[in-house]
Amino acid sequence: MQLTDEQAAIQDLVHEFALEEIQPVASEADATEQFPEAIWDALGELDLLGMTVPEEYGGFDTDPVTYSIVNEELAYGTLAVATAVSVHCLATSCIASFGSEEQKERWLPEMAGGRPVGAFALSETGAGSNPAEMATTAEREGDRYVINGDKQWITNGERSDVVVLFAKTGPEEITQFVIPKETPGLSVGPPETKLGLRASDTTPLSFDDVEIPVENRLTPEGEGLRAALSILTGGRIAIASQSVGLAQSALDAAKSYVSEREQFGGPIADIQSVRHTIARMHAKTEAGRRLTRHAARTRRDPSADTPTAASTAKYVASENAMDVTNDALQLHGGYGYTTEFDVERLYRDARITTIYEGTSQIQQTVIARGVLDEG
Amino acid sequence: MKILVTVKEVAEAEDDFDIDGLDIDERYLEFDLNEWDEYAIEEAVQIKEDGDDVEVVSVTIGPERAEETIRMGLAKGVDRAIRVWDDAFADVGMLDPKTKADVLSAVVEDEQPDLVLTGVQAGDDSFGATGVTLAETIDFEWGAVVNALDLDAGAGVASVHRELEGGIEELTDIELPAVLTIQTGINEPRYASLRGIRQAQSKPLDLHELDDLGLEESDLESPLSRTAMYEPESEGDATVFEGSAEETATELASLLRDVGVVEG
Ligand SMILES: Cc1cc2nc3c(=O)[nH]c(=O)nc-3n(C[C@H](O)[C@H](O)[C@H](O)COP(=O)(O)OP(=O)(O)OC[C@H]3O[C@@H](n4cnc5c(N)ncnc54)[C@H](O)[C@@H]3O)c2cc1C
Repeated sequence: MQLTDEQAAIQDLVHEFALEEIQPVASEADATEQFPEAIWDALGELDLLGMTVPEEYGGFDTDPVTYSIVNEELAYGTLAVATAVSVHCLATSCIASFGSEEQKERWLPEMAGGRPVGAFALSETGAGSNPAEMATTAEREGDRYVINGDKQWITNGERSDVVVLFAKTGPEEITQFVIPKETPGLSVGPPETKLGLRASDTTPLSFDDVEIPVENRLTPEGEGLRAALSILTGGRIAIASQSVGLAQSALDAAKSYVSEREQFGGPIADIQSVRHTIARMHAKTEAGRRLTRHAARTRRDPSADTPTAASTAKYVASENAMDVTNDALQLHGGYGYTTEFDVERLYRDARITTIYEGTSQIQQTVIARGVLDEG
Repeated sequence: MKILVTVKEVAEAEDDFDIDGLDIDERYLEFDLNEWDEYAIEEAVQIKEDGDDVEVVSVTIGPERAEETIRMGLAKGVDRAIRVWDDAFADVGMLDPKTKADVLSAVVEDEQPDLVLTGVQAGDDSFGATGVTLAETIDFEWGAVVNALDLDAGAGVASVHRELEGGIEELTDIELPAVLTIQTGINEPRYASLRGIRQAQSKPLDLHELDDLGLEESDLESPLSRTAMYEPESEGDATVFEGSAEETATELASLLRDVGVVEG
């Protein structure tokens, strides 16, 4: 799993940034449910918000392995920031992959610097695991589309200024659009109150006769979902990477706690079952990391195996992140259950990783298809 | 204008470590750029950004391992880097400030910088003397422990604040060419950007061996050698009182009474 010099340097940079800048504000951001916007702007200056923007539009166009490493290290800082970044990058990927020259020119150079912030609106109250069941419609009227419907659980819902939207242009036809947030008729619902990931804003978006010019259509009519699925394969690797970074931060917290905490006349790190727990946490974190790196490598030269590799990484890394954060909390004892230590937040944050960008059950469906039905 | 920044990769030990011979076992060491040098690099890069036609060159005496750290400097805006190394350095072990200054002066001879920035000291052996010794060796003006710098490149004058003992600040104008040893806190060192890191991969990082600098092995004979390395016994524990002055004063008084420092 050798990294190039450039990848190793980027990893060092983002790790240090996570440790020095993100971790110190993570707890307060969680408590106040405020996204740390100063961190976002600093990430923009480091070129970390243009990772999926081509160089000709001012982006950095990272390879999938670098992208994975950055996601891992940002989540080592805090998952809420990493998730906001990866959703912004999903939005820029869609515009870069499917947008017309005009749309790319319009959005990408500025988004590469971090603002406008992007959102990715696929899910609806009635369409989560099966987005094909969505009810939002985009009806063609001359040289415009008129959009009606509601999207649910949209990350960056409040703080975004541009939305990549999926809507039906026919009964079975899902199409992708790009919509400026200030378009009349588009409104942001109240933010969700969540178990974890509390510094990330998750809101509904409502579309009430929202009119946009046909130029804002990203994909040909009916090709929006297939396009989304290919982008979401990359998104799954990003969430897998974030799960690894989150697990690593829980493991590191546990490592230092068990060396300090004394019971029965010595540090609890001397007790064999505690040592075994640490060993298990390490093994699970490392397993997630290896699968994730492998998936990122296959995405560099995509093949029929890439979706299976991405789902396998996402499934294992996120389930392991839940186990590792759970163990980290347990090893902290009563202290772990209080907000005095970070592990309770890591535990709450980990819970989302097996749900968004495809639940663990959906990942297993994809993996089974790869194992049983193909090849 | 050319600025030469001397930089060093230093080792930091973990809290718990073992000693292996004359050094801390490498397994417990983490290598990074000397903290003071971060500020020296930032100062040089800021001068470059504010001026026209300023070149920033970094120089280190260090093994190949140091290249990763040096590249980070290139990623933050240093234009090119020089690494001085030769098997002979590995053999001599510890270099004293004078020997280092002799080696660096050969680089100054080649490069002819207008300004040399060094860190006040290195976090590992904390001599705090290399910069000033270098200035003496190359016969440059110098200013030590600089915590503010205003450069008038046209007039060839650096106006500096120097931090002296007891919280006193000295304001001095120093004529170029000069060596300034940079104190932490003079600026806020930046993070490298991804673009900077990518560009750094193709910036020059040249190796100079003793021959290239017109030096010989005998020039490295250092009057200092390390004879032992050990961890001092800790001689008692610190007691920390927390609370207001009134509360802690009472606690302190009873402690002093208990240990027999005061009677009554
Ligand atoms: C914090 C947060 C942020 C989010 N951000 C975004 C975003 O930015 N953009 C966006 O579009 N969406 C976002 N989502 C939505 C997220 O992707 C969905 O919640 C997720 O896909 C699951 O859909 P659902 O909630 O409708 O669950 P459902 O699909 O209703 O699933 C309920 C349960 O049924 C199981 N299930 C469903 N179908 C099957 C099946 N075929 N086989 C086996 N089990 C099945 C599921 O695994 C799950 O356990 C976000 C969600 C959250 C909570």
